[in-house]
Formats: sequence, C-alpha cells, structure tokens
Amino acid sequence: MNFRVTPRAIVALAVLCVWLIQQAAGVNFDLIQQTAVKRFGAPAGNAMRDWQGALNESKSLAEMEKLRFINAYVNGRVTFVDDKTAWGADDYWATPLESMGRAVGDCEDYAIAKYFSLKYLGVPVAKLRMTYVRARIGGPASTITQAHMVLAYYSSPDAEPLIMDNLISEMRPASRRSDLAPVFSFNTEGVWMTGGQPPPAGGSSGLTRWQDLLTRMKAEGFDT
Amino acid sequence: MSLIRQLWLAIVIISIIAFGGSFTVSMLTARHYVAQQLQRQSIDTANSLALSMSQQSKDPVTVELQVAALFDGGHYQSIVVTDPFGKTMVDRIQTRSDTSSVPAWFVNLLPIESLPGRAQVTDGWKQFGLVTVISHNRFAYQALWDGLIDLAGWFLLAALGAGLVGTLLIRNIRRPLEAVVGQAHAIGERRFITIDEPRTPELRSAVRAMNDMVARLRQMFADESARLEALRHKVNHDEVTGLSNRDYFMAHFREILQGEEFGQTGSLVLVRLVDINALNQRLGHMRADALLKDLGTVLYASGEGRIGQRAGRTKGAEFAVVCPSFQSATEAATDLYERLQQDFMPKWAPEVPDLFHLGAVLYRRGQKPGEALARADQALAAAQSKGLNSWHAIGEGEALASVPAEQWRTLLTEAVGAGLVKIAFFPVVSGARQVLHQESVIRLQPAGQGALLSAGDFMPMAARLNLTAPLDLGVIKLALKHLETATGDVAVNLSAETISDWGFRNELRALIKDHPGQSKRLWIEVAEYGVFRQFDAFRELCKMLKALGCKVGIEYFGQRFAEGQKLADLGLDYIKVHPTYVRGIAQNSGNQEFLKGLCNVAHALGIVVIALGVESEGDLPLLTSLGFDGMTGPGVK
Repeated sequence: MNFRVTPRAIVALAVLCVWLIQQAAGVNFDLIQQTAVKRFGAPAGNAMRDWQGALNESKSLAEMEKLRFINAYVNGRVTFVDDKTAWGADDYWATPLESMGRAVGDCEDYAIAKYFSLKYLGVPVAKLRMTYVRARIGGPASTITQAHMVLAYYSSPDAEPLIMDNLISEMRPASRRSDLAPVFSFNTEGVWMTGGQPPPAGGSSGLTRWQDLLTRMKAEGFDT
Repeated sequence: MSLIRQLWLAIVIISIIAFGGSFTVSMLTARHYVAQQLQRQSIDTANSLALSMSQQSKDPVTVELQVAALFDGGHYQSIVVTDPFGKTMVDRIQTRSDTSSVPAWFVNLLPIESLPGRAQVTDGWKQFGLVTVISHNRFAYQALWDGLIDLAGWFLLAALGAGLVGTLLIRNIRRPLEAVVGQAHAIGERRFITIDEPRTPELRSAVRAMNDMVARLRQMFADESARLEALRHKVNHDEVTGLSNRDYFMAHFREILQGEEFGQTGSLVLVRLVDINALNQRLGHMRADALLKDLGTVLYASGEGRIGQRAGRTKGAEFAVVCPSFQSATEAATDLYERLQQDFMPKWAPEVPDLFHLGAVLYRRGQKPGEALARADQALAAAQSKGLNSWHAIGEGEALASVPAEQWRTLLTEAVGAGLVKIAFFPVVSGARQVLHQESVIRLQPAGQGALLSAGDFMPMAARLNLTAPLDLGVIKLALKHLETATGDVAVNLSAETISDWGFRNELRALIKDHPGQSKRLWIEVAEYGVFRQFDAFRELCKMLKALGCKVGIEYFGQRFAEGQKLADLGLDYIKVHPTYVRGIAQNSGNQEFLKGLCNVAHALGIVVIALGVESEGDLPLLTSLGFDGMTGPGVK
C-alpha cells in the first residue's frame, strides 16, 4: 500500500492541531480574528494576530513580568479616546477585541483589556480587581476630579495593590498613586472564597454592564 | 370499546397532556424567574451594602449595625461579612420557622435555591472583606404558590370549556354515526331502510353505499312484485271485466264456507245476462264487451268497504257475488239491485230492455259450494219468472244473527274474565313434516250452550262492538300460558281493529315482557287487510314486537300484492299466503308460477312463506317444490 503525504493533508492536520490547542486554551483566536476583520477591517485582524503573538510570547514570564508587560502592551496599543467619540455612547465598556482592534478606548477599556490578557496568561483573577476610583487631574494641588477605572493587583489578600491604568504608563503600588481614591472594586470571580464553584446562572455579577460585556466577549470567542 | 368512548378518552387524554404540560412548563418558568429575582436581589443588596461599607468607618460596631439594619428588614435568609482570608466577622442568619401558608409538599416539589450575592468591601486600597447576602425564599414560595392557585383556577375553567366543546363535538359525530349503525342493524334485521346522508365524508360514503344497496334491493323487489302482480291478475281474473275468474272465485267462496275468517252465514248473489249471443249480435262484439265491463265495474264496486265480499265471472253470461257481511239474502239482493239500477241500467236499458235477472240465497258454513250455487240458480229461475230485470231472494237471517247486539256485548265482555275464551291449535308443518309452530285459533264457549263458537261467529260482532282488544289479549295470555308448559312455537293472530289501539299495545308489551322465556317462541300475525288499512300502526307494532323477541308476520297474504314493496322495510319474519291461491293449486299452473315467484321474492328478503288452506296431503310435495317453508289447512294433520 502506497501512503502519500499530500500538502493538503499536512495543512488539515495543522489546522486540527491549532484548533485543539485553542480549544484547550479556552480562547478562539481564529474566531476573534475573523470577527475583528469583519467588523473593523484587515488592520484589526493584524492587531489581533499581534496581540495573540504577544500573549503567547509572554506566557512563560514570571507573574510580575507578565503584569508589567501587559500594562505596557495595552497602554502602547490603545489610544485614549472618550466613549462619546469612539462609540457614540456616554459610557461604553468595549471588549478587548473592540479596544485592540480599533486601537482606541477610555479608562475602563484599558482595564478590561489588561484584566482579560492577564487572566489568559494565568494570573489568578482572585488577585485582580477592577476598581472604580476618583482621580484628581492636573497635579497634587488640583481640585479637578473625574471618575476613573483602574486594574489593581493584590499579590496577597492583605497586600497593598499594584495599580495599572492609562494615566501613567508605569505600574505603581497604590501608596504611590495619591491622585487616586478607591470607591468600589469587583472581579469576575465572586465565588473564589468557597472555591471551584462555577458562577451561577443569571450572571456572576449584578453589574449588568459587566455582565453585558462578558456576554459580548463570549460571542467574540473569549472564554470569560 | 365503542368509537364514541374512544373519542371521549382521546379528548380527555389530550386535555390532560395539554393542561398538565403547560401547567408544568409555566410553573417551572415561574420558578426560574422567581429564583433569578431572588438572586438579583441578593446581588444588588450585596453590592450596595459593600459600597456603603467601603465608604464608612470600619469599626466593628458600625459594620454590625449596617448588617443588622438590612437584615432586620426581614427579606434575607442570611447576611455574612468575612475578612479577606474567609474568617467570619459578622453574621446574621434567619432562624425563625416558616410561618407562610405554603404547604410543605409544594416546597419539596418545587425547591427554589436562593443563590448568594457577593461583593467586596475595601478599606482604602486594602481589601477589607467580602459581603455575602442570601435572600429569603419564603416570599418566592408564597408568590409561586399564589400563582399556582390562580393558574389551577384558570386551567379548571379551560378544562370545563374543553369538556363543553368536546361534548358538542362528540354529539356532532355521534348523531350521524348512530344513524349509520342503526341502518346497519336494520338491514341486518331485513328492514331495508334508507337514511339521510351525513355531512362527515367518511360516513357519507358508507351511508351512500348502503342506501344504494337498499335502493337496488327495493327496485328489484318492486320489479319482481310488479311482474308477479301482473301474473297473479292474469291468472286469476277475467280479461274482459277484470273480475275474478271462475276458479279464483270458487276458491274464495270455498274458503268462506270452510274457513274461520268469516261468519256462519252470508249471502250469495247471482246475476245472469239474459242472452249473451243476442247481445253480441245486436251490439257488436266491442259494445257487448263494453257492457260486460260496465256490469263488472258495478259488481266490483259493491264490495268496497265490505270485508270478504268478492265478485267473479262464473260463466260467460253469469256473475256471482259472495257477501259474507249480509246475513239476509233479501238485503244483499236489494243492495246490488239498487246499484245496478243506478249505475248500469240507465246506460244500456234503452238499447237492450231485457238485460238481466238477479237471484240471491243465504249460505251456511259447511255447505258445499255447489249446493249453494244450485240454490242460487233456483232463486234466479224464480226471478226470471217475475219478468224483465227482476230479482228474487231465498232465505232470511237465522238464529245466530238474531241474537241482539246487547246480548253479544254482555257475552263478549264477560268472556275473558269468565274463562269462556279457549284456543284450538292447528299444526303448521314443513315439507319434511316437521312442525314449525302451532297456529292458535280463538274459540268461545257461550254459557249454557253446548257448541263452541269459532272466530267467524263472534269476531265480526266483537269488531263492531269494539271489543277485540280484550279478546286478543285473552288469546295471547292463553298462548303464553300454553308455552310455559309446552315445547315448540305458537302463532297468534291479532285483529285488524286492535293494532292501532295504543292502550292495547301497551298492555301487550307489558304482558309479553312478563314472559321473557316465552317471547321468542311467540309468533304474532295480522291479516293483510288490517296491515294495509293501518300501515303505520302495523309498522310500530312490528318494531315493538321484534324488540321483545317475537316473530311477526302477515296472514291471508296475497290479495294486495301491488302494495307489497312497502313490506321491505318492516323486517317481517313470515307471511301466510291466502288460501284462495293454495286451493286447487295442483290444477292451476298460473298460480303455481305466481306462488313460486312470491316465494323467491320473500326468501330474498329472508321471509318464511307458509301456505294456508291446504286441502290434501297430496299438495305438500308440490307446495314444497314451489318454495313454501310451511303448510297448514284441513289437509294437514
């Protein structure tokens, strides 16, 4: 019997392997890429592929390095544009695909993209908090404040968090961010204390905006 | 299981599935909704509590007060605050037993899981703890239970509506279906009826097929009847006048003299044209025939409304009329003579002055027919001697006829109660000499007098006095009593006058119902003239008797054959053919053919045919070969 390995068979095998790996990773980058191209054109597709590359490269880094890398990567990719301009809405929480694909976003879009990138890289979400903060703009003496959102990293439950945001590119401990006053924080895992229990039906969070975001991401190919 | 019951069952099952299914679905949906609402409430409360705690001072008293304020609102199962490492700082858990009106089985049947809502509390940048809120599901159960009661009420209403609609639907189907089944039953019982076609297509084609079959059968029967009627008429009637021919007339006369149908005495009238050859010469053949026809018409008309009266052409120029209802020869002669004077003589006397003579005599039962005719000849001779177109009568009414009506009334009224009514039996046998049944005949034993009276002696009087019903019931009673001890079947005849009597019919039904063991061996028959005189009453009687299990028949059948197709939808069991056709059958090939055809038609309808008035044993094989199933008469012992 003559068994010939054709280029077609190799391609098929490769596609199968990639698909299997992606299934295991829980993020369907093919689908993400297709969706990005369809919605925002070819450049968005490239941005996705680039993001995927960056994520895969940084998988082996230490946790602290991952934080630094992702903070810098997202800050470098996304240009600050307010929601009104970017999405025509007063307050719109964009998915990572939307922020990275169009390369625009405002404070919470940065935080969201960082949160899910880190989650993908294996940083436990129990250590991550999306945090509403009151930000003072324009130096220590300024009285101008605005609503802002940051991503906080707690290396341990009682530790001082590291703050990632778009106002400054550097990741700093909270004590060095006197311009920010925390108000409220949350993350996707409301059940980590009892451990292992999946988020119940009807959403892990009562924040419908958060819920809406998670739903949209799922449709785009993310495993939230 | 009947079709109707299956339909009902289907409706009930479908209703239960539909209602049960939607009931379950709506309950589950409601539960899901309520559970979601519960969790939403938990989450919202957790978030706002966490938010407010994050802004407030974190001393234990404040934290505890905040938790207590929310918890004492009563809507929560538990509110717990834990530190970042999971250690409980404050907790409030509802321990009060459930006081709501929701039954325990319902709670067990539809468990509602109240899922916790969680939110983080921060102290500045530092994590302070986690708030976990679980809403109390008591309110959810109450809402669900109230919804269930509501829903059950509506479903009950809907079920009632479905039942109502189902009833109407079934009734709509049931009516035509029952009609179809009824027709099938009727055909099975040899009642060939047609019914209206129902609107349901499936039933319509079935009914159409059965109606077509019945119509074809009826047509066949009508065709055959018409053919037989033509044959019967040709064989038994004179061509020119349409009156009975000599054979037929003599058979009828002999039946009157020997049978029990008519009274002991009656009148025989002879009318003889003076000189038929001279008539033919003077008027020509055609006009002479017209004269004969006119005479025949007048004589025939004289019998209208008089049972048993019959006119026949006994010789070329001689006509005879037998009048059982005239107990005086003079009265009979006068009646006929007046009719001739009025309807016959005015037309022909101007041309032929010397037309006819008329003689009348009284006959008695048991007399030989020839003897009666010879005496009538004497009367005719006496009339001739009286001159042109004259008449003469011999003999007046005798002893029996002279009994006054009031005396009869007393006798007949008391007869049944006093046990004066008896029955005599005559066997009806098959060709193989097996007894089919015993024909019972009423007899009356007048008090003090020796001789038994036969039916013909008193039944005409009973009919006139309207007393046949008790006599008939008396006979039925005797027959049923006889059946209790005897084997075999018994036939009883009912008077023509009785069958339309409602009271009689109800008593008859009650009487037969009391003897369920005997009813199947009871044959009940009505004379043909009675059947056609009150056809609808007879039809009702038939239905009633057949329902009781009796056999129903017609006796003295064959005189009104043209109306015979009416019998197709009665479901008759048997007919007894008039003796007139049976007497002298061996010599009458025409009547043999007629009777053979009659047997064929009757057998096609499943009707047993019995010959009456069989005079000799020798006729039995011939009658059997013609198709008769049974024979009776003086010749059958």
